[in-house]
Amino acid sequence: MAAAARFPVAPLVIGALVLAAALPLVSSNYVIDVGLTVVTYAILALGLNIVVGYAGLLDLGYAAFFAIGAYTTALLETLLHLNFWETIPFSMLLAGVSGVIIGFPTLRLRSDYLAIVTLGFGEIVRIIATNLDITGGPNGLYGINPARLFGHDITSPKAVYELGIAFLVVVLVFVIRLGRSRLGRAWTSLREDESAAEAVGVPTLRVKMLAYVMGAVIGGLGGSLFAARFGAIDPTSFTYAQSVTILIIVVLGGRGSLPGVILGAIIVAGLPEALRFIHLWREFAFAIALILLMLVRPQGLWPARLRHIAAPSATAAHAVPEAEPSALVADEAGDVPAPHRGTLLEVRGISRIFGGLRAVSDVSFSVRQGEILSIIGPNGAGKTTVFNCLTGVLQPNEGSILWGGASLVGLAPHRVVALGLARTFQGIRLFDDMTVFENALVGMDHRYRVPLVTEMLALSGARREAGRHYAACRNWLEFVGLADQAGMRAGDLPYGDQRRLEIARALAGQPRLLLLDEPAAGMNPTEKQSLMGLIRRIRDLGTTVLLIEHDMLLVMGVSDRIIVMDRGGVIAEGRPAEIQANPRVIAAYLGTEEDDEDVGALGAVA
Amino acid sequence: MSLLVVEGLRVGYGKVEVLHGIDLTVAPGEIVALLGSNGAGKTTTLRALSGLEPVRGGKVVLGGESLNGVKAHRITALGLAHVPERRRLFSPLTVEENLRLGGYLIRDQAAELKRRMETMYALFPRLAERRLQLAGTLSGGEQQMVAIARALVLQPRLLVLDEPSMGLAPLIVRSIFGIVKRLRDEGMAVLLVEQNARQTLRIADRAYVLESGSILIHGAAADLALDPRVQAAYLGGAAAA
Amino acid sequence: MSEFLQLLVAGLTTGSFYALIALGYTMVYGIVRLINFAHGDIFMVGAFLGWTVLSALAAMHMPWGIALLLAVLLAMALTGGIGVVIERFAYQPLLSAPRLSILITALGVSLALENGVLLIYGPGFETYPHLVSTAGFVIGGAQISYVQIGIIFCSLALMAALYLFVHRTFMGTAMRALAVDRDAARLMGIDVERVIQTTFFVGSALAAVAGVMEGLYYTEINFFMGFIVGLRAFTAAVLGGIGNIPGAMAGGLIIGLLEAFSAGYVSSRWTDVIVFAVLIGTLVIKPTGLFGERVVERM
Repeated sequence: MAAAARFPVAPLVIGALVLAAALPLVSSNYVIDVGLTVVTYAILALGLNIVVGYAGLLDLGYAAFFAIGAYTTALLETLLHLNFWETIPFSMLLAGVSGVIIGFPTLRLRSDYLAIVTLGFGEIVRIIATNLDITGGPNGLYGINPARLFGHDITSPKAVYELGIAFLVVVLVFVIRLGRSRLGRAWTSLREDESAAEAVGVPTLRVKMLAYVMGAVIGGLGGSLFAARFGAIDPTSFTYAQSVTILIIVVLGGRGSLPGVILGAIIVAGLPEALRFIHLWREFAFAIALILLMLVRPQGLWPARLRHIAAPSATAAHAVPEAEPSALVADEAGDVPAPHRGTLLEVRGISRIFGGLRAVSDVSFSVRQGEILSIIGPNGAGKTTVFNCLTGVLQPNEGSILWGGASLVGLAPHRVVALGLARTFQGIRLFDDMTVFENALVGMDHRYRVPLVTEMLALSGARREAGRHYAACRNWLEFVGLADQAGMRAGDLPYGDQRRLEIARALAGQPRLLLLDEPAAGMNPTEKQSLMGLIRRIRDLGTTVLLIEHDMLLVMGVSDRIIVMDRGGVIAEGRPAEIQANPRVIAAYLGTEEDDEDVGALGAVA
Repeated sequence: MSLLVVEGLRVGYGKVEVLHGIDLTVAPGEIVALLGSNGAGKTTTLRALSGLEPVRGGKVVLGGESLNGVKAHRITALGLAHVPERRRLFSPLTVEENLRLGGYLIRDQAAELKRRMETMYALFPRLAERRLQLAGTLSGGEQQMVAIARALVLQPRLLVLDEPSMGLAPLIVRSIFGIVKRLRDEGMAVLLVEQNARQTLRIADRAYVLESGSILIHGAAADLALDPRVQAAYLGGAAAA
Repeated sequence: MSEFLQLLVAGLTTGSFYALIALGYTMVYGIVRLINFAHGDIFMVGAFLGWTVLSALAAMHMPWGIALLLAVLLAMALTGGIGVVIERFAYQPLLSAPRLSILITALGVSLALENGVLLIYGPGFETYPHLVSTAGFVIGGAQISYVQIGIIFCSLALMAALYLFVHRTFMGTAMRALAVDRDAARLMGIDVERVIQTTFFVGSALAAVAGVMEGLYYTEINFFMGFIVGLRAFTAAVLGGIGNIPGAMAGGLIIGLLEAFSAGYVSSRWTDVIVFAVLIGTLVIKPTGLFGERVVERM
């Protein structure tokens, strides 16, 4: 099985750390000094890796957080006479707050602008440190006390090195736990496909911000260590070049890959030392090596592997009764004492204009509880635009959308999902580089109740909730017929299975209304047959289905009602038989018809 | 003698194969329709022909020359003009600039290019009035006219149209189809992908029906128009229905 | 008033450098969506190549006008060629790889250029020959040199020429088409590779002109001069709306003026803080820059 084929990284990393910790026993102070530099870079790179590797964002000013941590420790020690340990929380806090500051403008910006904004932030911090008197100006601060532990100053290179290793281990455990938490999943989903992540309930803006904050906190910690190590700091340690070096470590080692990042730190911090003999050519050779490495291995030296969270077995999953699809959806429906066939969603006169063209014009319809409603119409009729308005991806220029009496207009997509509307996409948008199981889990994560901290500490409440989620997730995969593929990479699934996984991911959020955008596109007849069955089973659970589809057999076969759109407006609405007999529909959908005999033929098809 | 000969064409994205061996031919002076439901592989077929997607297997031959592995801009130079789905105009550029780019390959022959552009304005008088307007501000029908005119400037041997009727009013669709028929009568080979089955079969000479990446049925358009299997396949679902 | 005028002219002069360099960032970004981090160093390379030619010609006692013209043209051609070679070997293979990989490659190219120049020319400053006199005139109490006026006019002329190139020639129209829709451009028979290479050539050549001008204006050049100027020019491109050619021109002049006025009225120590604060503030209010267009993502 896949698990057996996996290369055992964990023992290797632990072994390497033990060896690294034992290094002072056999090495000279020079080697230890280089070792400490590697450790410092590894800590910083692990922090930046959260932003760059996990969340796929860019930060060219990461040294700013490093600076903030170092200056905080230095100032608190020299001015307020706090000891090293007391300054650390402040370092991390201040760096975290700066993470919010740098994260804030980036929330609205396209990713390419992040480069300059983060770079600018890094420069601003450095220039402020250079120009203010309190930070010692260009000379920096000195006389910073070493860390004290059990009544001993940690001053000898070997002791400081061991302290650094201890910090590295703490940071490593932290980022591993973070990576496996729901936040880690959210970051990965963001990196894979931001719109899809938002559409399955990931609050992408907050999650992006948190990536900067978590990265910053680690940078701050690294800064404190740095200040205690040297006893003196000055602005030249926190330049743009420093930020670039840390970024190079992450990308060279392998974005998102923890062993890769550590390997990157060893190479980038250690290689120039090793190359001292070539003197002036060293930097040039490093630059050329960097270019060549990127050309040969764009994913990095030790690329990240698929993160595996083991799905519970069938028996284990079914042993959790509240994780059964029927129980999950029935509970939800039970919350709503809506009358049978009551209105779930009401769309009133929405219009959407793109550059002067009315893609959707004055569209009204309602979705009733428990039905399968289809929207059909030729390509370009505006169906997907309606979907995008319903799910918060686009805002209608006019009109209102009411969900249980409350308006959906103006809500971000993830808020709409939380209210119980889930969707799939016309072109499949899975998180390719995550497992099938994790894809479905992301769809569920917005339902977590325990705080993130308890999840990271694996407290019993969090473990119970995670267990329930895993079981439910497993059952949803079984519901769509993908239980056996749970450990596969989503991008490797065959086409039809990818469609079904998208549906499972949407269902995992336990929506009351499921919007399917052309689920049958590209499926063969057998797959379409099974899709029809699946849609009916979803409705039978109590979930209402709104379907955009071109495949008439499927639409006519499963729909309770059909809405027909053409050129931005609704031209007909009714039961399948009524729609088939409606000459306006036939004209719009199959072309203007002069021969009446063909109209009969359409009826024959359906 | 066929101008375009496609044999066993296979195309895929990543690990997924989308076309599983397509055979088709188009001769000068005929309109060949390629029909099928959404996702059947129609657009992928056209993109492979014009070099926008790499061909994984089979062969594509235009006028005796193999197009396998030939870059898209070279294929255009060989006389294949592709009007892509959703028109893909250069919307911040003017109508005139869009047409001039259509004549990029004859940019050294200023007089000839100017003459051909005037021919296009004669063919689409509405565009002549809008020469200096930005293409993105035109109506859908006018945009389609620009897309077709832009492809015709080079006087291609084979015109490939991907859903020219998408989102257009029936009257405009009819006038665009009228122009396509005229081009056919003048001897051009036309490969037409459409959603609009019945109307397409009325102007096409022959047609192929594609389903899930394979050709399901092909034959004379007049025969297919009456074939219940075409109805079933085109509208999707089991062919036997 | 005289101080204001003085700062205005100084700002427009440095703004001209930034604008010429920002054009390279923005043209490349518009076409291949790459932030070419090596572009600042291309500018530096242009300054060194110009210096080499000019020093050689000055040693041959060539009339300074001809020497200068030759130096500029040669620097443009050589630097443009280097830009094309970089594109071909370092960027082109990665255009479809993850975005970060190509960004790191660009950083690597930047490092390679800096250290390459360091190896060839050494770590010290090189001094441009004093071909152009420091003479000038006084207007409204402000001391303005002919060099400043020359630089401003040359830059404006180059920008006008670029505008005409982009709007009036087939190659320029093809560039704009490529920025909108690469596949559609291919279908027109446009050789996309060649257009991309031309873009790199033109962008690098413009940076080379700026490099020579910088040498003439400040008289000293150094292997790390590309960093700060490149950074300001990049900021200018983003401020104007990256990918937008008039935006880059305007952004460059704005950054130049900001720099001059903040140095004159505040302190040059805070210039970068002010420049970046203006940039970030602008982006928060207008996320695609002053002239940028909103990009609508279709789902």
